[in-house]
Amino acid sequence: MRSTRHVVRAGDAPENGHYSDPPLLVLASLAEGPKHGHAMIEDIERLCGSRLGPGTLYGAIARLEEQGWVQPLPPEDRRRPYRITPAGLDVLRAKLTTLQHFARAGLKRLEVL
Amino acid sequence: MNPRLAHFLVRLYPRGWRERYGEEFEELLASRRGKPQDPVNVVLSALRERVIAGFGRPADLSAVSFGAIVRLPGAFVPMAMSLSALAIVFAHIAFYGIAPQADEGAAAHLWQLLMTLQLPILVIFAVRWLPKAPRQTLGVIALQAAAFCASLAPVFFLKL
Repeated sequence: MRSTRHVVRAGDAPENGHYSDPPLLVLASLAEGPKHGHAMIEDIERLCGSRLGPGTLYGAIARLEEQGWVQPLPPEDRRRPYRITPAGLDVLRAKLTTLQHFARAGLKRLEVL
Repeated sequence: MNPRLAHFLVRLYPRGWRERYGEEFEELLASRRGKPQDPVNVVLSALRERVIAGFGRPADLSAVSFGAIVRLPGAFVPMAMSLSALAIVFAHIAFYGIAPQADEGAAAHLWQLLMTLQLPILVIFAVRWLPKAPRQTLGVIALQAAAFCASLAPVFFLKL
């Protein structure tokens, strides 16, 4: 899973502290339930303050679908919702656990300063 | 976003990608309130998808047509650069004639940049595509070489 740089900064978000790993953000958004593209962008913005550009979002969806971590659902009008697969949930859990360890260790170091 | 702009932006993606995601992606673009940075984001993402599509080995190599190869960025960008360099030479001749100038000037620097920067693109294209589709790739390389020589010829023969 890789991060890309095409994450548009939300206007009211803090100057620093943006997290920009679009595939992980998409997985985290879908962990709440199936969503289509527009709903994912809104949800991710609420979740972490980063607004994914539409191209970045669909790039991430394409990669995640290739890997079998998300699955398309039947379209509603011209919008197609996606849902996270069990394999995607495993990946999300593993990634977030790693991030949690990393964050805990990093914050502990900051406490010493 | 304006639906016509959305349609145009979706057309920048490779065909396979459009067939899979085109309709829903266009709907997403058209239904969103226009953010100034969105078109740039989409153009960059489309380029990325084209690069990824270029890296992938086609399932049936015999089905790869010359037209499909020549539409790859690695094929047409060097040709476009050569032709742009040629246009610069003609524009320079039209304005200043064929007498050598004391100072090389911006046109000469631009010409040198265009001619030099296309070489790595050309090499990457050849390395990537010659093993996959040699006949079609050689045809494209011949076109690239012709465009390169066409741009080089007036500078060489007119001693610009």
